[in-house]
Amino acid sequence: MCKRAAILLAMSMLTVLGTTYAQFQGRRGRFYERDLPMPADANEKTEWAFARLRYPSHEMYSYYGRGGWGSWTTDGPKAERQFVLGVRRLTRLHTRSVEQVVDLDNDEVYNWPWIYGVEVGHWQLSDTQVVKLRDYLNRGGFLMVDDFHGTREWAIFVESMNKVFPGRAIVELQSSDAIFHVIYDLDQRVQVPGISPLMRGITYEQDGYEARWRGIYDDKGRVVVAICHNMDLGDAWEWADSPDYPEQFTSLAYRIGVNYIIYAMTH
Amino acid sequence: MFEIVFKYPSAAFAKGQFVLLGKWPTWVLVLLAVVAALVIARLLVRRGGRPTRQLATLWGLETALIVLLLLLLWQPALSVAMLKPQQNIVSLVIDDSRSMAVREDGSSRKDKVLSALNPSFLKDLQKKFQVRMYRLSGGLERIEKTEQLTASGTATRIGENLKQLAAESASLPVGAIVVMSDGSETSGGIDAGAIAEIRRRRIPVHTVGFGNERPNRDVEISEVELPSRVLVDSRVSARVAFRQNGFPQGRTKLTVRDSGKVLASKEVVFQRDATQQSETITFQAGTSGARNLQVSLDPLEGEESVRNNALTRLVTVDSSPMRILYIEGEPRWEFKFIRRAMDEDKAVALVTMLRTTQNKIYRQGIANPKELEEGFPAKPEELFPFSGVIVGGLEASYFTPAQQELLKQFVDRRGGGLLFLAGRTGLAEGGYDKSAIADLLPVALPAKKITFFRDPATADLTGAGRDNLICRLEEDPAKNAARWKKLPYLANFQEVGAPKAGAVALVELTAAGHGKFPLLTIQNYGTGRTALLATAGTWRWQMLQPLEDKSHEMFWQQLLRWLVTDTRGPVVASTPELILRDDGRIPIHAKVRDTSYLPAGDATVEARILGPEGSHETVPLQPDPLTPGEYRADWNAPKDGSYVAEVVAFHKGEEAGRDVLTFRREDGLAEDFHLEQNRELLEKLSEQTGGRYYRPNELARLAEDVSYSEAGITTRETKELWNMPVVLLLILVLRGGDWLLRRKWGAV
Repeated sequence: MCKRAAILLAMSMLTVLGTTYAQFQGRRGRFYERDLPMPADANEKTEWAFARLRYPSHEMYSYYGRGGWGSWTTDGPKAERQFVLGVRRLTRLHTRSVEQVVDLDNDEVYNWPWIYGVEVGHWQLSDTQVVKLRDYLNRGGFLMVDDFHGTREWAIFVESMNKVFPGRAIVELQSSDAIFHVIYDLDQRVQVPGISPLMRGITYEQDGYEARWRGIYDDKGRVVVAICHNMDLGDAWEWADSPDYPEQFTSLAYRIGVNYIIYAMTH
Repeated sequence: MFEIVFKYPSAAFAKGQFVLLGKWPTWVLVLLAVVAALVIARLLVRRGGRPTRQLATLWGLETALIVLLLLLLWQPALSVAMLKPQQNIVSLVIDDSRSMAVREDGSSRKDKVLSALNPSFLKDLQKKFQVRMYRLSGGLERIEKTEQLTASGTATRIGENLKQLAAESASLPVGAIVVMSDGSETSGGIDAGAIAEIRRRRIPVHTVGFGNERPNRDVEISEVELPSRVLVDSRVSARVAFRQNGFPQGRTKLTVRDSGKVLASKEVVFQRDATQQSETITFQAGTSGARNLQVSLDPLEGEESVRNNALTRLVTVDSSPMRILYIEGEPRWEFKFIRRAMDEDKAVALVTMLRTTQNKIYRQGIANPKELEEGFPAKPEELFPFSGVIVGGLEASYFTPAQQELLKQFVDRRGGGLLFLAGRTGLAEGGYDKSAIADLLPVALPAKKITFFRDPATADLTGAGRDNLICRLEEDPAKNAARWKKLPYLANFQEVGAPKAGAVALVELTAAGHGKFPLLTIQNYGTGRTALLATAGTWRWQMLQPLEDKSHEMFWQQLLRWLVTDTRGPVVASTPELILRDDGRIPIHAKVRDTSYLPAGDATVEARILGPEGSHETVPLQPDPLTPGEYRADWNAPKDGSYVAEVVAFHKGEEAGRDVLTFRREDGLAEDFHLEQNRELLEKLSEQTGGRYYRPNELARLAEDVSYSEAGITTRETKELWNMPVVLLLILVLRGGDWLLRRKWGAV
């Protein structure tokens, strides 16, 4: 009996561990393509490039930082490269196919007035990075954050963001805001899911049941931080070429991304 | 001395006519003179033995003597008109204006006049003439005693008062007018009409000049050049001209104040005495409205007058923002950062059209949803309400031929400003050099396929750029040049050629492998202006510099303000003089254009004038029959103070536009300026009327000289000249010279 119980327990544990492993493999394996060929225009000097923000992971998620990878790399580079294809087709923006990685540890970030931070529910900015980000945004930079979910990741995001702008409120972006109309009218928005929950038949992760489009405004009423909470635009870009990922989500993700870029370049 | 030698005063010679009283005809005199000359020559030649030069000298002396003696036989004389004693009036016109109170060398000019008018002088004059005294300032008033002089008049109008005097005494035998003044005419000069009137009556005006011809110790602001109209919060540059005497290398402070509030201040160092100097001072215009700006130099110890250390000028700060239409061909960071820079500028409103996709234009800053809905304006009434246009990275063919022509007319006829920006589909790549608007470019474009590069480049001010307000990031020229050198590199650039004739490059660009070429070039074109900025990468000046650094904002605000500041609306009001000195008469002109900026000859135009103490009046302007679209009115500003005239035009039942004109009447202020004696004016007055200029110490001669006049009741006198001492002297010299030379040369 004890032996059978032990075998059942072991099998149960293996099942749990296997499922968990599969989940993580989903991010790193099946759902992640890192080794993409370098496009011919990789070194072209263009007006705009997809600038991915590299940040230190929060201590709670330090395992993500092992081996040189961190949560900041999520979905990249396939997500941005596919997204840029859309940007190039849908706008007159002069851009290159390859992303630019920037961080808040030097002044290079100032050359890229639009930056994208992914999984910012896992970030933890140092004091100097906080100051740099504040300065960057005040000078005219724009930060778009995406792919973080639920209460706990929100709290982690806000912890650093409140240090960046102690006095500025994070507010819900109204549908009437120009950011939702600069190219596409995005009055009807739905939660854009990551591919992993989608495979499980749901559109949310953790307790982030409702997609929230939030932002931080500067003194002149311009959005300087666009916050895509409880949604995963990155996955929608990344899996735009997958028949498993519904077109309606990809389409919306492209439109949101395009609007945010053009908004950043006009406001 | 003159009279000792010539027996009569110089005035007699100046006025008199030379005559020969002898009965024999003049030709006999000439014949005898010729015969005498020939005989003397023959005698000298026959005697011979002398060098030719000696013979010629002796011949000259002897002939001159004989001719002189012959002339005396014909009884030379002067025929001169002279005032009959006690039958004529001499008008003594004494300057009683405030400038006569200036103290020089221990006493005032008025004191010096009183001293000159001592009892003996007046007695001499009164012996021969009836003397009438007048005090002269803004008007002319007869006085009985010199004690009535106060040196407190607020103006000096010599010409006008002399004209009045001539008119009032038309029926009186005025033999001469004597003007005792420092010549500090405050109406800008003596007009030709006054001179003509006096000349017509043949009254000689003698002038007696008082006051130093150069002040001993004084500082005076002679002119302040300021734009009459500026935009809200503009940086305004005032050029202040001044001069000083007695304080070489001295230092004082130049200050601009608005209602007592200091707007700007800087130290100035004086150059040599009497040198006209000028300094530029820059300040913020502030909020909208009419500004009374006082520009002053701090008084120095021992100045003869401190009233001339300040001048007031009127500046209208425009309240309505000037609208600039910015069309951009593709999303660019430059677009965003220009918009951000201009967000802080209340004077300029940027209306933007951004071609975000092939078929979408994103509009910002529009007045209503309908504005620019159809794309870039295709009609004058849609484009001309803008004051400026910026063409970003956009190919020339984006504009239809009609739109290209419209852009040309926008600059040329409407007077708008047009700025071209670099771009990968702009300028040379955009085919602008082959378009109808190529003329508007201030530079030539290179005939290359690729001229746009995303490589780093640096900007350097040119000589013209150092002096131009567009590029003024710092007041101090050296600091400004240093600040430009420290600006971060530009993100991109586009090669352009040399500036066209009449255009000027303010900033040059240097890029590795591309050399140096104009970065910012400006020019006037027609009634407007155009500029070209050969980059779309100034945004790094914002992103790569500390937040506190405002170089990017300042540059763009100054550039775009330059672009539109002189762009006027459909109604333009003007007047030749914005400062009325002691005279309220002011002509008001207005140019009225229709919505296409063509002259509107059938408009109704009126000026609504608001004056001091709440006074107001509406003055209709009449159309100029010779110039369609121009309207005029003559008005009189009744009081000292500032006036605001709003000129409103109605055309085809609708308001065509309005413009604001500010002017100021300053009574008495001119009296405090140009304190040195205006000798030139006094000399010119006396010369043109047949009189003479005198210094105060020459006054004793005046009583005698005044007698020689053709005005009034005169008698013609003949004054013989044969007995002038100078004749005897001449005979002695000629004869004595002849004798001495003969002795010297051994001919005696």
